[in-house]
Amino acid sequence: MSKLKEILIPTVALFVICLISTALLGGTNMMTADKIEQVASETAEKARTAVCSSASSFEEKKLTVDGSEYTFYVGKDAGGETVGYTVTTQDKSYGGTIEIMTGFDKDGKITGIEILTIDDTPGLGMNAKSDKFKNEYVGKSGELVVSKNASADNEIQAITGATITSKAVTRCVNLASKIVSEAKGGAD
Amino acid sequence: MTKLLLSVLMTAILTNNFVLAKFLGICPFLGVSKKLKTAAGMSLAVIFVMVLATAVTYPINKYLLVNNGLEYLQTIVFILVIAALVQLVEIVLKKYMKPLYNALGIYLPLITTNCAVLGVVLLNVDNGYNFAMSMVNSLGGGLGFMLAMIMFAGVRERMESCDIPKALQGLPITLIAASLTSVSFLGFTGVVESIFG
Amino acid sequence: MAEKKSLRHEFTKGIVEENPVLRLVLGTCPTLAVSTSVSSAIGMGIAATIVLVCSNIVISALRKVIPSKVRIPAYIVIIASFVTMIQLLFKAYVPALDSALGVYLPLIVVNCIILGRAEAFASKNTVIASALDGIGMGFGFTAALFLISTVREILGSGTFLAGIKDLLAVFGDFSFNGFKIPFISENPMIIFVLAPGGFFVFGIMIALSNRIAGKKGKKKAELRGCEACPMAKSCSMVGSCDENKEEAQA
Repeated sequence: MSKLKEILIPTVALFVICLISTALLGGTNMMTADKIEQVASETAEKARTAVCSSASSFEEKKLTVDGSEYTFYVGKDAGGETVGYTVTTQDKSYGGTIEIMTGFDKDGKITGIEILTIDDTPGLGMNAKSDKFKNEYVGKSGELVVSKNASADNEIQAITGATITSKAVTRCVNLASKIVSEAKGGAD
Repeated sequence: MTKLLLSVLMTAILTNNFVLAKFLGICPFLGVSKKLKTAAGMSLAVIFVMVLATAVTYPINKYLLVNNGLEYLQTIVFILVIAALVQLVEIVLKKYMKPLYNALGIYLPLITTNCAVLGVVLLNVDNGYNFAMSMVNSLGGGLGFMLAMIMFAGVRERMESCDIPKALQGLPITLIAASLTSVSFLGFTGVVESIFG
Repeated sequence: MAEKKSLRHEFTKGIVEENPVLRLVLGTCPTLAVSTSVSSAIGMGIAATIVLVCSNIVISALRKVIPSKVRIPAYIVIIASFVTMIQLLFKAYVPALDSALGVYLPLIVVNCIILGRAEAFASKNTVIASALDGIGMGFGFTAALFLISTVREILGSGTFLAGIKDLLAVFGDFSFNGFKIPFISENPMIIFVLAPGGFFVFGIMIALSNRIAGKKGKKKAELRGCEACPMAKSCSMVGSCDENKEEAQA
């Protein structure tokens, strides 16, 4: 009997602690879930407006390219006319997954990029967030390549000491270009 | 696919070394790296628990948590699974695999609160790795931990016979040596990329 | 009167005398990882302090209820719950900080300062003393992180308090977003924000703290081996972590 008690009491105590903790967490989650969702959608909306500033509203669409499904947004002006597109793409970078949103005008020229998720080295890869690097992409179109000494139109100047990050961003942008050109092809 | 897995493995070992680049598992790295033998034993135990923990937490996360919208319980579930797992492994090894227990058993209780183990499990989820990639990433993380431990144990054994300025004796010089070891790993930047990129 | 004085001591000891980072050498992983910028260091300090104070209070209040056999798992559950709450609150109200701290935010669970204080202090002392201990230790942790990150950010990025705007976003919209240090910001010594710089600056800080402590006739900061380890009681290798101690005795 005492042996049973010796095992039972700690088990019950631990179980009760777990139960209370989980209940409290469930409560916190319920309280914060809506706010987290709201923050996420606000951030996405803000990024969309930043990369495709001529649009006043966005319409969500889906498209399958090379067997994977992607979500993209068609930007429309106040009159409902299509003025651009935004696509979010992912790739593997130095410190993990990187997520980039790219904005295009209606001709497929890049109007801006925004880094949504990045976990690279501060001081090196993190410089991808700088306006200087992001502006490298503006006005370009088609397949882009990273170069340490960019001169041609389709070349992107690599961030010093962070070629891997520069290449990862460029891969994301190239995939986005492809999705948008497919999407336009489908619409025409 | 093989190429992708190989690149995940090499990245975890060399460019994103758990200890020297991600600062996970610093306590054992500084604490049990003085002798080569203990460093190797600790590293083997870490590899073992990391791979096992990933194999167990991956299905739990995918089928139990994500499917039911309970992602917010990840941290608490993972740490409890790791703690229970470590206890279980200790009991099983003690009973059925005495030689392995003698080699690794003494390091196991220390591993529950080792941030490298919880770290690798959380990073696998954060990066959205599938099962194979998670397993390879954990194995690579563990091997990287071992590489750093053994290299550093070598450095520390050399330091024994050095004349160190008084102000830096003890922990400060150990940290500065760790800094230099970490510099040597910076040299791997780009290596994996140029092989697999 | 004596009671009052000792309570004040519980609070102040964590800041200088028993600073968790620079004197007790605990919580080294987050110290090195998030000290690349002052803003994320302060964020980490605040998060860890909240978890530390809350878990200290709860564990101290429950110290007579929790059976000693399942003590450690119970502490881990309590700490992990608070960490998850902080994580959810950060995600909702300071999302920029949540993404800056990344995986190191949930890793507060295994921060040895918190489990260590639970085992060494909160499980034996009153709620008030434990709360003060938590505040003091948390403040000491934040102060040490602030010192290390200040050196690293100024030398490595040429900025000070960059990104503080995101941290202050909870209180409203501030236009202040840190200083740019002239000259260094154009030619930053990037190595200081990379991993080697973290180890190096931390090493120098420990050397300085040793020197100051040495002048006052105090012991040097060392990895304290088993006595600092919260797992010591359930650990079968008691003594084998005490490499540094053996040497000191020899």
